[in-house]
Amino acid sequence: MTTTTTDLVIGMAGSGGDGIVSAGESLVAAAARDGYHAMMTKSFGSQIRGGESSCRVRLSTAEVLNPGGALDVAVALNWEDFLKFGAELPVSGGTVMIYDAATGVAPDQLPLAGVKPAEVFPVPIGEIARKATGTDKARNTVVLGLLSGWFGIVREGVMRGLRKKLAKKGQAVLEANERAFQQGIEYAASHPLQTPRTMEKPADSGAKLLTDGNDICAAAALFAGCQFFGGYPITPSTEVMQLLTREIWKYGGAVLQAEDEIAGIGAAVGASFAGKKSMTATSGPGMSLKTEMIGLATIAELPLVIVNVQRAGPSTGMPTKSEQADLYQAIFSAHGDAPRPVLAPTSVSDTFDVTVEAFNIAEQYQTPVIVLSDQEIAQRKEVIDPIDTSRFVRVDRLRPTPAELESYARFHITESGISPISHPGMKGGNYLGAGIEHNERGEPTASGSIHQQMTDKRFRKLLPLRGREDLFRIEGDENAPLALVSWGSTAGICREALRMARAEGLRVKLLVPWLLYPIAEKVYRRFFASVRAGVVVEQSQQGQLYRVLRMELDLPRGLRSFCRPGANPFRPAEVVAALRDAALDLQRRAHHQQPQE
Amino acid sequence: MTSLPSFSAKDFKSDLKPIWCPGCGDFGVLQAVYRALAAVGRPAHEIAFVSGIGCSSRIPGYTTAYGFNSVHGRALPIAQGIKLANPDLLVLAAGGDGDGFSIGGGHVPHAIRRNPDITYIVMDNQIYGLTKGQLSPTSPKGLKTATSGYGSLENPVNPLLYVLAYGAPFVAQGTPADMSGLAQVIEEAIRYPGFSFVNVQSPCVTYGEEEGQVKAQKARMKTLQSLGHDPADQLRAIDLARSSGTELYTGVFYRNPEPAPTLDALVRERKEQLGKDALPRERILELFLQR
Repeated sequence: MTTTTTDLVIGMAGSGGDGIVSAGESLVAAAARDGYHAMMTKSFGSQIRGGESSCRVRLSTAEVLNPGGALDVAVALNWEDFLKFGAELPVSGGTVMIYDAATGVAPDQLPLAGVKPAEVFPVPIGEIARKATGTDKARNTVVLGLLSGWFGIVREGVMRGLRKKLAKKGQAVLEANERAFQQGIEYAASHPLQTPRTMEKPADSGAKLLTDGNDICAAAALFAGCQFFGGYPITPSTEVMQLLTREIWKYGGAVLQAEDEIAGIGAAVGASFAGKKSMTATSGPGMSLKTEMIGLATIAELPLVIVNVQRAGPSTGMPTKSEQADLYQAIFSAHGDAPRPVLAPTSVSDTFDVTVEAFNIAEQYQTPVIVLSDQEIAQRKEVIDPIDTSRFVRVDRLRPTPAELESYARFHITESGISPISHPGMKGGNYLGAGIEHNERGEPTASGSIHQQMTDKRFRKLLPLRGREDLFRIEGDENAPLALVSWGSTAGICREALRMARAEGLRVKLLVPWLLYPIAEKVYRRFFASVRAGVVVEQSQQGQLYRVLRMELDLPRGLRSFCRPGANPFRPAEVVAALRDAALDLQRRAHHQQPQE
Repeated sequence: MTSLPSFSAKDFKSDLKPIWCPGCGDFGVLQAVYRALAAVGRPAHEIAFVSGIGCSSRIPGYTTAYGFNSVHGRALPIAQGIKLANPDLLVLAAGGDGDGFSIGGGHVPHAIRRNPDITYIVMDNQIYGLTKGQLSPTSPKGLKTATSGYGSLENPVNPLLYVLAYGAPFVAQGTPADMSGLAQVIEEAIRYPGFSFVNVQSPCVTYGEEEGQVKAQKARMKTLQSLGHDPADQLRAIDLARSSGTELYTGVFYRNPEPAPTLDALVRERKEQLGKDALPRERILELFLQR
């Protein structure tokens, strides 16, 4: 009997030089060429070179929402390194376990703490590689052959990828690798799975994009019209700057790799003052340093996009691991009453939407905007559908008219709170920009009443954001008593959990905010109208969104926080379990409230 | 034939009344800036004047240029962002000794090595005046201030040596005790194509030392010209700068006679080179298309 599947989660580990990550990259690139959707996450030891490395690849015929839970297929080039990734590469009773027979471990004595995989294949991976190519180096290519053979995937895509990748290395190297790949396939053919699992062909095999959250963020900035980036290298955000250093010049813009985080945002503030759409990107430690400048952009009313790719922990914490614990900082950092919009993408694809939106909001409201990405989204590779860029508008800041320039007041108090903004070079628009409180003309003041008016103005102009329903994604049963709320990379896990929970009969719906601040009260109120219980799922010890919502809204009594710090992502099954608990809780309460007869 | 517009000092004077104490050296710097800008002849709206925080950092507001009175110590990063965003602007940065050589000291070497066409004026009064008389990075050792009641234990920064050591291509010093000399070095600095630095011995009348005041300065200052100093001689400039604190030299310490290309010129060149390779913005995602 042949079983087919539409979704396959593969996990691989080896030592640093084994090319495991490179195999994963080949796999997702091949998947993209063959029209599959895919997602790849990497995990390393802390060394720059050597040490252990692993990756997970999830292939699907439909959109991939998250890296998935337990592995369908596990590949260990050696056991020592594989076992270091116990949390990232969980093996279950449904897993097909493949490992290099040279490790000498007997199939019935796997070091998996009692877990019995569905099928176990000790494969002489190194031996096949040596026979095909003369070296061990092609072990990763053999693995690709095995996967291709057993699961019927990406044969064409891998071959094309090999040709592309090895073209420069000469015909001999290419042929050797093609042999290694072929022999992997043949090995799989002569050792069939007991329960065959062939991947179905993708329904829509149209062209796909292969990218990650950081790269697409940079591309979105260019699309939005970004003309300046100032920043400083920091994991896991550096790729945003790297892509811009390659591309921005072509669009008449410039990048300044500054001497420190403060100078990076400082230069970006300067470029915005000079009239250009401007951006910086960083991670937690950099955000801490940039905070004073964010306050400056707030009071000087300068548009600026600040991307924080969150990593785990305070101080240095865990730079290569994901967490969602910078929400408080994003909303509340900087002294004084300094409001600012905060947005968060939830996937590689919507990082494009959210980044373009961040530029538009920054320009429209002349304010710094924080984009809270996270390491999980920023550094995972995804195969996604092309994005129709014609559906986006690009907003430019409001400029003064010639009449307004006759007697220009930069911070003119208007009903909307937005005043036309000039820039150096514009005749008649001359003004003093400042971190000092100022009157309408930009002149320094210590007047309490002017401070009140200007503070009102800076808050008032952001009010329309509270009505931006389009910055929320709602799915599920509209009248459900159960709710899921989630943001950032965790939202992708909750989208899958929602489907699983509904499939088992729970009446549940999901709210995913792209806009985290200001709080869009009406959107939440409408969503919560039917809700009696549920969970706010996020990756922080404190459950920061839950607490911010509690601070600003009356929440349904049964809505709880379901949170823990990074670095391991939630699994959809855990979220479903939390929903079941919420449902039970609800039943108990209902029982309790029944009138006594 | 149309003549170029000509400007007078008052074209650059704003309506704001300076908050400085009567007799503050910064009034002299302001006047010198007006005169230098009039001589250079760029209209005020094409000038961006950036400062940090401190008494002297109020200066942009007293001019008719686009001013930006930013945060403490960060005038240079902001000025560089402005210059890279719009290289056509005339960009000035200014601030005090604390702004430039204490909290913002880390930015100075990097501005110098990048060599943007920016002029940086430091009003050095050897004291923190705005916060009422604390030790500054250029306060002499032994100075008694609000935070060094028993006398400072630290050696001062030597701003001239600092910037010369990092290779600043134009370095000058002036004082309000010699207004025409001050206006002249500021003008020369602005005209110099590259990063130019002017240190101004600008006395604090309220918290400063007696020997720093204009009257005392007049008695001890010497022009570099009178010493026969050749501004192209970098080593001699460094040698002369070493005596800062004991001697008060005015004029141009160093002017690189062969100006290197500026950062803004290099950026312009790169944009021109690469501009023709751009995908239309609408198709930017084709960067990631897998074929």
